[in-house]
Amino acid sequence: MVSILTFIIMIAVGAAVLGFIAVSAMFLIWWERKVSAHIQTRYGPMRVGWHGVLQSVADVIKLLLKENIVPEDVDKPIWWLAPFFAVVPSVMVFVCIPFGNLFGIDLIARDLNIGILYIMALTSISVLGIFMAGWGSNNKYSLLGGMRSAAQIVSYEVPMIISMVTAVMFAGTLSMQKIVEAQRGMWFIFQPNMAVAFLIFVISATAEINRTPFDIPEAESELVAGFHTEYSGMKFAMFFLGEYTNLFIVSALAATLFLGGWQGPFLPPVLWFLIKTYGIITVLMWVRWTFPRVRVDQLMGFAWKVLTPIAFANLAVAGWILLK
Amino acid sequence: MTWSSVETIKENIHTEEFWVNMGPQHPSTHGVLYLEVKLSGETVVDLITHIGYLHRGIEKIAENRTYTQFIPFTDRLDYIAAMGNNLGYVLAVEKLMKMEVSDRAKYIRVIIAELQRVASHLVGITTFAQDLGAFATPLFYGFREREKIVELFDDICGNRLTYNYMRIGGLQFDLPKGADEKIKNIIKYMRPKIDDLESLFSSNAIFTARTKGVGALSKEKAVNYSVTGPNLRASGVKWDLRRDEPYLCYDKFDFDIPTGVNGDSWDRYKVRIEEMRQSLRIVEQAIGGLPEGDPTIKVGRIIKPEAGESYMRTEAPRGELGFYIVSDGSAYPYRMKIRSPSFSNLAVLSELAKGIKVADVVCVLGSLDIVMGDIDR
Amino acid sequence: MIKYFINIVAGAISLMKGLFVTFKNLFSKAVTVQYPTQKLQMTERYRGLVDLRIEKCIKCYMCVKICPTACLALAHKETAEKKKEFVYFKYNMELCCFCGLCDQVCPTQAIYLNQIYEIAVYGRDKLRDIDLLNTEKYGEWAHPTVK
Repeated sequence: MVSILTFIIMIAVGAAVLGFIAVSAMFLIWWERKVSAHIQTRYGPMRVGWHGVLQSVADVIKLLLKENIVPEDVDKPIWWLAPFFAVVPSVMVFVCIPFGNLFGIDLIARDLNIGILYIMALTSISVLGIFMAGWGSNNKYSLLGGMRSAAQIVSYEVPMIISMVTAVMFAGTLSMQKIVEAQRGMWFIFQPNMAVAFLIFVISATAEINRTPFDIPEAESELVAGFHTEYSGMKFAMFFLGEYTNLFIVSALAATLFLGGWQGPFLPPVLWFLIKTYGIITVLMWVRWTFPRVRVDQLMGFAWKVLTPIAFANLAVAGWILLK
Repeated sequence: MTWSSVETIKENIHTEEFWVNMGPQHPSTHGVLYLEVKLSGETVVDLITHIGYLHRGIEKIAENRTYTQFIPFTDRLDYIAAMGNNLGYVLAVEKLMKMEVSDRAKYIRVIIAELQRVASHLVGITTFAQDLGAFATPLFYGFREREKIVELFDDICGNRLTYNYMRIGGLQFDLPKGADEKIKNIIKYMRPKIDDLESLFSSNAIFTARTKGVGALSKEKAVNYSVTGPNLRASGVKWDLRRDEPYLCYDKFDFDIPTGVNGDSWDRYKVRIEEMRQSLRIVEQAIGGLPEGDPTIKVGRIIKPEAGESYMRTEAPRGELGFYIVSDGSAYPYRMKIRSPSFSNLAVLSELAKGIKVADVVCVLGSLDIVMGDIDR
Repeated sequence: MIKYFINIVAGAISLMKGLFVTFKNLFSKAVTVQYPTQKLQMTERYRGLVDLRIEKCIKCYMCVKICPTACLALAHKETAEKKKEFVYFKYNMELCCFCGLCDQVCPTQAIYLNQIYEIAVYGRDKLRDIDLLNTEKYGEWAHPTVK
């Protein structure tokens, strides 16, 4: 009896998470189009629904109805699997994202005691999807995109994880929920060396999820669409979904690790969490629609010559502060 | 393949250079340019440009059109700066006929040509930024600013892209009522906007890192490849037909010729920004001293120049635009040759591309600011 | 070492400047025209479709001669009273490049370019052989704001 109940709860939680991911991705796509449009003094989508809120729904319907085109010479198994490899890890990360609590229930699928470690491990997998897409497409643009992506994500993982470790050191725990609770009095970002860690985290996370100015894997001006050049219809939508889910995840992580997660005065915790997360997302969008893209060698140089040393120095400073 | 030892793996895995075909349909080849790029990893080993996808035989068409009828065709050469082509062509025919136009027509032509230069450089710079990956934002700003000029041209001649405004011996229309006020407003509007664009790019660390030292074109090489216009001036050669071979009434105006030092993409961009400011200066002086009179011509004349030939080159926004016309005394040109600036400017690309990264090919191509309609004709 | 940090700080400041420019524009008014609901007024000299004031035409063939793309076709016959009468006056919009030379060359301002700009049709045959003598020829395109 108990096992059936747990099973039902598992299904319900899974459905809730998937539903949230889909709605969030659709909202983010609409929001990105709106933000970019207003930065460019346009209106963006205006026709479908009020100010085009249903535009993403229309787009999804279009993508679902599209023919599934499989180019002749692709490496079929790899090519078919790649979109799932891009999406599934990012969905799995949602297991231990603390959304706050509602009516006394903690909104977290499972508060793993190694939460951060689990997230670090899973976010590294998504590079596989991109690399598989690049290799399996049998297209030179895709191959170049995949190669760039592999190099980029591996490089930027180092400063990103080190800056996350700084937060873990201050909290003294790997559990996401406990990290949030550790920031009860003061958010981590108000400490100077944590602010540096926050900046490093946001920059390397931007690179990690391939957004401008670090979007070289899909650099439109030279690689057409990079690793997803050959994809269309729902498979393309999967990459898109993965991209926007990743965007949500890194912003949620930044909010949780450095901005006090769901904590905040007056408003309910869930709202605080969403406000912080979408605030960071909006800033990332603002950055995306302002800057040109860096070149591949500059990108690597930036990771290894600037971000990584600073992250390590910052970690050392954090250690010194804790030991003092 | 056996995986028994490291040696066998080393034997079986090898690297090779490969060809990538960029274009004719590609997001950043500015039209239907086809680049064959030989890559070793990310580095360009060799680059071959293929042109001709937009060839319309305009030079041959010219032989079957009267002198007036050919003016609309010049709009379709460099469609980003159609007024510049109009001007180059009518000046060539006027030179062939030894015709003098009224002062007012000259002044209006200068104003129009310089505003066209600003509009064209706005497109050139912002598409360049787009090529560097600044997602459309500068492009939209550039087009928003350009819109003011295009609207003015729409007011003056009734069309937004293919103007067909200049006429042999004058202009189609005089400026409409209130146009000089509008032009003054455009100058006032444009100056801070150019500063804005500059602060969006010039101070930007990423933009600087992407453009400085990329695709440096030396003075000698620029001259040898007959690169002209802003690209030549960026290499440090102070050559501008408006000053060195003044046509119309450019000798009456006071303006500087901006030059670069290294001839890299950064200098090419910087020269264009500065040129827009100088163009606005010229427009300001011209609109201040606009003489009275009638710039229009009597319509419906059949133009029959004497047998002979003429070559007229003008400083179009992209460089030296030359029209060589041979007349046999009939109403149709016997032969016409167009020396288009983009064609010569593109030729230098394969030289510049060797040894740089594939992302920089796009950067150099964008900074050369080519228009395929101008190249293929 | 100091230069390294100065570079980083200077780079960060420069990026801020760019962000400030886009931020300024984020709240400026959108320049888009919401086309089907909102329409632009064409300028006075706008070059739309070729149109004819039939009573003014003197059949001088100037427009036919000047047209660079030969999109006008005109024929006339003489009546018993030595008056010129139209046989046909056709306009092929597929070829027209809207250069306005016919308008400029016409001695009586009979041929002119009107202000119609919404000229999408479902078939090419609607663009070919438009009968300029028919006063209702642009009926389906004419917009109420167009004079």
